[in-house]
Amino acid sequence: MRLRRQTSEPNTGRLRVRGLGGLALRFDEVTHRYGSHPALDGLSLEVARGETVALLGPNGAGKSTTISHVLGLLKPHSGSVEVLGVAPRRAVAEGRVGAMLQTGSGSGLPPGVKVSATLRLARRLYRDPAPFDLTVERAGIGHLLDRQTQRLSGGQAQSVRFALAIAGNPELVFLDEPTAAMDVAGRRSFWQMIRQFRNEGRTIVFATHHLEEADQVADRVVVINRGRVVADGPGASLKASVTARRLRFVCQHPLEGAFDLLDGVTEVEVRGLGVTLDSFDADATVRALVRSHVAFTDLEVTGGGLEDAFVALTQRGPALSGGAR
Amino acid sequence: MGQLLAFGRFEVGRLVRSWKFLVITVGFPVTFYMLFLGNRRAGEVIGGTVPWRVYLMVSMCSFGALVAALTAGGGRLSTERASGWSRQLRVTPLPAWSYVTTKVSATMLVILPVIVLVDVVGATFGGVELSAGTWLSLTVVMWLTALPFAVLGVFIGFMVTAETAFPVVTALMFVLGYFGGLFNPVAGMPAALRAAAHVLPSFHHASIGLALVDGHGLTATNWLVLVGYAALLALAIMVKHRTEEARGIS
Repeated sequence: MRLRRQTSEPNTGRLRVRGLGGLALRFDEVTHRYGSHPALDGLSLEVARGETVALLGPNGAGKSTTISHVLGLLKPHSGSVEVLGVAPRRAVAEGRVGAMLQTGSGSGLPPGVKVSATLRLARRLYRDPAPFDLTVERAGIGHLLDRQTQRLSGGQAQSVRFALAIAGNPELVFLDEPTAAMDVAGRRSFWQMIRQFRNEGRTIVFATHHLEEADQVADRVVVINRGRVVADGPGASLKASVTARRLRFVCQHPLEGAFDLLDGVTEVEVRGLGVTLDSFDADATVRALVRSHVAFTDLEVTGGGLEDAFVALTQRGPALSGGAR
Repeated sequence: MGQLLAFGRFEVGRLVRSWKFLVITVGFPVTFYMLFLGNRRAGEVIGGTVPWRVYLMVSMCSFGALVAALTAGGGRLSTERASGWSRQLRVTPLPAWSYVTTKVSATMLVILPVIVLVDVVGATFGGVELSAGTWLSLTVVMWLTALPFAVLGVFIGFMVTAETAFPVVTALMFVLGYFGGLFNPVAGMPAALRAAAHVLPSFHHASIGLALVDGHGLTATNWLVLVGYAALLALAIMVKHRTEEARGIS
């Protein structure tokens, strides 16, 4: 499937070659507040055409707010957002963007109508839609076409909403937690399809809670916390950037104050005889522990996965004194 | 334009397929007509002009239009918004005004058969006799002047959640119906209620129909109030829609 619009669009001064040149997305110091709570706090982000980017972050970090800005559903209180070189609402109105939003408890589909009718409608809303059969095949919803939308399971509804998101043959696709209601098999085939979709040169941005999905599917993982980008890079480099480790051991007379001062320690937890230390430099902490003559047994050092990197990234930094979310 | 047509066809298709909803909506005012007809002598002259059977028929046309507008516009729209579908539409190229216009038009489409059916029941069961021309103009005028009801329905759909839709719609139906004089002529009500009726669109809608039937012609006030309601509510929908856009709720 080629992207016809890339050649038929008026020249905007950007090179419109698949996956090269031009930005799919540009956030410049975007701030957005809900009341006094800053959901986005000077967020800056650029996504090149053809990239697949995962937005990762704890609940309330600003992932969905970011996606709402991209789609023009929200306007920034300060800063600016550009999508495919134009204002977000214009990119949406031109049908160049497809989106799959979170729907809370709802299905996100119109009640009282067949899946096929809904998809046919979605296609007609775009100037240059993808062929009906192709969209059905991509979303894997062939067996659902004759179903009423209100009779779909959560995962099935999600697949149908994905079909709606890609029905317009978009250059840029946003997926807000696309696999939240899918089972393992559904999830696997979904990402399989996304990879194929990406190989056609489309830009894909998705928000997720699933670290392994972000790591396996995305070219780049952008970690958002408290409305800012706290890390940005390939999954592998994020893992490498974090040296945080967790030390666990048993101690006959644990005194909490004694561990705080050990080299590298950022967090101390004592439960009965069990002690857990978080450290940004495990080697130094172990050496200090030995020197301190504390009688410890069963020492165990863990950490280093993407999950730990994620936790470390979203819990440290000057914006987060106190550590609580 | 193609988008608007496609969405219009889709909406009408959904309405037609939800025949249970339509039967209840259409059946409601007809049932009320038959129930209320016995409240007075059918020939009793109301307000010095029309007999009760005619008064009630015109009133039930108004009431039916109101019920259809509030349930089709309000109730269904709030469910649809709760499902996240209207938000999904907002991220397609369908312009927001097309969405609102289509909702109002689809609501108008539901109102027409309600009015026709009340007329038919009035003519057969109620023994109302009018000239062919009056029947036609009554039906068309009652239908077209029901526009503020349709806008009201869509406005309510934008304002309420799926949980609060039922009580709000029911309350409005009976407040506008009762105090607008659709169940009982306002002439028999205390002065304060009579005054209150004059600010309700339901009263003015029925008044237009009654003036048509008794040959009094049309009163500018009735029309002005209805146009005012339609304009104000349309404005309110736009304001609501814009603030939602700014806040990102849909």
